[in-house]
Amino acid sequence: MRQTYGKQLPGMRLTDLPGKLIVIEGTDGAGRSTQINLLRPWLEELGHAVLDTGMTRSRLAGDGIRRAKQRNNLGRVTQSLFYATDFIDRLEKEIVPALRAGFIVLTDRYIYSLMARASVRGMDPSWIRSIFSVALKPDAVFYLRIGIEQLLPRVVFSRGFDYWESGMDLFPGQDIYEGFSSYQATLLAEFDRLAEEYKFEIVDASADAQAVCAHLQKKILEIVEPVRVEAPEAKLAGAYVESLTEKIFLNLMRASKEPEHRVANPFPLTPQTANIPLPRRNGSAF
Amino acid sequence: MGITSSFHVGPYEIFYPLKPSVSPVQQYGQHHLPGRLFVVEGIDGSGKSTQLSLLHKWLEARGYGVVFSEWNSSPLVKDTTKLGKKKKLLTPATFSLVHATDFADRTEHSILPFLKAGAIVLCDRYVYTAFARDAARGMDGDWVRDLYGFAVKPTAAFYFRVPLETAIGRLVGARDGFKYYEAGLDLGLTVDAEDSFRLFQGRILEEYEKMVPEFGLTVIDATMPVEAQQAQVRRIVQSHLDLAKELRIQP
Repeated sequence: MRQTYGKQLPGMRLTDLPGKLIVIEGTDGAGRSTQINLLRPWLEELGHAVLDTGMTRSRLAGDGIRRAKQRNNLGRVTQSLFYATDFIDRLEKEIVPALRAGFIVLTDRYIYSLMARASVRGMDPSWIRSIFSVALKPDAVFYLRIGIEQLLPRVVFSRGFDYWESGMDLFPGQDIYEGFSSYQATLLAEFDRLAEEYKFEIVDASADAQAVCAHLQKKILEIVEPVRVEAPEAKLAGAYVESLTEKIFLNLMRASKEPEHRVANPFPLTPQTANIPLPRRNGSAF
Repeated sequence: MGITSSFHVGPYEIFYPLKPSVSPVQQYGQHHLPGRLFVVEGIDGSGKSTQLSLLHKWLEARGYGVVFSEWNSSPLVKDTTKLGKKKKLLTPATFSLVHATDFADRTEHSILPFLKAGAIVLCDRYVYTAFARDAARGMDGDWVRDLYGFAVKPTAAFYFRVPLETAIGRLVGARDGFKYYEAGLDLGLTVDAEDSFRLFQGRILEEYEKMVPEFGLTVIDATMPVEAQQAQVRRIVQSHLDLAKELRIQP
C-alpha cells in the first residue's frame, strides 16, 4: 500500500499501485530534463512503460499558469495555489492512473520544488506542507545538486535568464543577474534543507550528463523490477509492452518452441530480428 | 471589533483567524487594519446577494468607500475555472484548489489592499462557502481550513438561513435549470438535476449549521421580509462602523 504525507484525497485508493514513482528534483539548469530524456528511452528499452510529467503540464491549469505569468500581477499566495492546482490535477489524472497500470512515472520536479519556491517567497512552510500532505510518497527522489558557481555559466550560455527563475518578482529592483544569483542561492539553501528532511538521494549534477545518467541508472535498477520472460508461458511484467520489446518477446516465444534455439541462442538472427538492436542489459532481463 | 490576525502565511501579514491549524503555524499578535470586511453566506436562493447589494447602496449613500468582491471572479483564474467546469475536469480536490486560487488572487488584489486603505469591503460568499461545498464533496475539513489559512477574518459574517424547499422554490421560478457543479452532479448522487441539487444543497446546509458556532456566524432568518432582514443587517454593520468615522469619504 502506498503512503501519502498525511492526508488522503477522496476517491484515491492507495492499494494496487504497482508502478514506481521516481522524482527528479533540482534547481533550474541542474539538468533535470536532460536526464529524463536519457532515462525514458533506457527504461523503455528494458521493457518498462514510462510516463513523464512535470510542472505546469496539467490539462486544467497549465495554460492558466502560463497566462498568469505573462502578466505583472500574479501574487505569491495565488502563485503557490495555482501550482498546487496544477500538481493535484496531474496527481489525480496522470500519476495515480499510471502507477495503477504499472508504469514507471518519471516526474520532473515534485512537491519539493513547490515547497522551496513558496518558502523562498515567504509562505509559511507548514501551510504549504499541509496542502501537499495529500501527495504520494515517491519511491525515490534524486536531487540533482549543483553549486551556484557551476549553475550560472550553464544558464547564461544556454537559455539565458528567465524572469521567474531569477526571482524577479522578489527582487524587482535588481538586474536579472543579481536576481538570479540571489534567488537561486536562496533556493539551493532551501533544497538542501528539504534534502535532509525528506531524505533525498543527492546526485552531483556538476559532472557530465552521461556520468550523472549512469549513476541514476544504477540507483533506479535498485528500485524497478526487472522485466522477466519466463518460457514457455512467457509473460512480460507491466501493463504496456513497448513495440520493440514485443518483437523480441514474440521471437523468444518462437525460439522456445525449438529447443535447439533456446539452448544455443535465445535471439537467433532471423530476418525479422536482424535489424533490431538488442537490449544492452541482457543478464537479468532475459 | 476590528480585524484580528493571529497567523502568518504570506510575505506580508496575513490573518489566520479561522481555526487553529493542525500544524504549528507561527503566531502573531493582534493586528488591526483600518478597513472593515463584511461577508454574506448561504445557499443559492437564500437571498444573500440581494441583501448585500442593498447594504452596498446604503453604505455608499452614507459616504463610505465601498469595494465589492464576488466569489469566483478573479480575472487571473477565471479561465481555468471555466475550462474545468466546461470540460468537467474538476475532481473534489481540484474544484477546491481552483477556488482557493481564485480567492487568493482576490485577497491579494481586491481585498487586502483595500482593507489597508481603510475601505469597507463587501464579499458575496467567502471562505465558508468553500468549507461547506468542499466538505459536501468529501474533502477533509481540516485540510480545507488550512488551505484558506491566508484569509482575512471578516468583521462580521452574515449567514442567511433558509429551508431548502424555500430556496428551491425561489430558484425554480427565477432561473432555467440547475448548473452541473452547483447541483453537485459531479458527485453522481442522482441523475436528476433537481434531486441532485436538493441532496447536495442539503449537505451544504448541514455544513453551514456546523459552522455557525465554529466561526461565530451572524444568523439572519432569510424567510423574513427583505426589509426586515436588511434592517437587521444594517443595524449590525452600523455597530461596527461607530468607531470607524474616518472611513467616510469627505465631500
